[in-house]
Amino acid sequence: MKRLISKAILVLATGVLFSGFASAQEVSQERIVKGLGKLRAAAPAIDLEILRQEAINGGNQPMSALPNWKRIGKLPQMVVEIDFENDSVAIQPNSYRTLGLIADALHHPNLWDYKFLVVGHASATGDEKHNLDLSEQRAAAIKEALSTTFAVDPARLYAVGVGEHLPIEGTDVKGSNNRRVQLINLGVFKIKS
Amino acid sequence: MFKRGILTAALTLATLTFAGNAPAQTLSYADAVTKLAADCGTDIQKLCKGLNLGSGRIADCLQQNAAKVSPTCKGSLTSVFQSITQREHAQTAYERVCQRDMSKSCSGIKGDGFVLACLVKKEKRVSKECNQVITDAGWR
Repeated sequence: MKRLISKAILVLATGVLFSGFASAQEVSQERIVKGLGKLRAAAPAIDLEILRQEAINGGNQPMSALPNWKRIGKLPQMVVEIDFENDSVAIQPNSYRTLGLIADALHHPNLWDYKFLVVGHASATGDEKHNLDLSEQRAAAIKEALSTTFAVDPARLYAVGVGEHLPIEGTDVKGSNNRRVQLINLGVFKIKS
Repeated sequence: MFKRGILTAALTLATLTFAGNAPAQTLSYADAVTKLAADCGTDIQKLCKGLNLGSGRIADCLQQNAAKVSPTCKGSLTSVFQSITQREHAQTAYERVCQRDMSKSCSGIKGDGFVLACLVKKEKRVSKECNQVITDAGWR
């Protein structure tokens, strides 16, 4: 049964890959460093609770339609695919490598001064509240793994789950590509002397 | 026959030189965790089912079940742990070890990323210690 579930997820993941989404295997440390390091202006101050509420109250509008998320949307960011066990916060072993790549990038001097926001998203299948809670717990699980196993300073990491509320513009809200993790550069964490 | 002999000798020599001189490359987190997933995946699924990565849960579980863990996994755990520790040390030591080279060869450059890029570019003028730390940190 369990094998069947992971197989189904694998097929899903392959589907995502062919539909042109950056898959875990295509992501390299260099790409993450480059993709997340292009911050040229000061990042806006963020409040996780405001972001969460704005997402929930915004219905199923994309990020660009919500003022606080729109500002966040302009920061350097990337979407990564991290597979979880069905209905659980357990990260699948096939996604350990992706987390490792992210950690390697965050330990690189190009990025080590920055703080990051992990945003967990769900597709609009199943109960809305449950999706919201699960995406929150999954974002927290990613933060926990990065800050313990992969030794990234937890003070540099923020995690928020927005459930099915911020679908990718112009996509099917139930589509598996909306089940995703976003990594956003929130600007300088501390000024090194 | 003679040719093959030379080739074998050259290969042996190359292997010896490599084993003797070149320090082992340190592993990235990505490669470390990939190796562990490959070598310990079965053990983890069998002995630590349902445990999530993070806060040392899987490492603790493997340790508690040490008697049942496969030799392949045990070997990998040791080597991966050593390698990652070496890389972490190098990343921590980098600014101290490379301080002189930074002010000598890359002064006036702003931003940690650009300073590193400068040191990497000027590899031939940079001290042996600093070059080694950059290599061990996985930043080349």
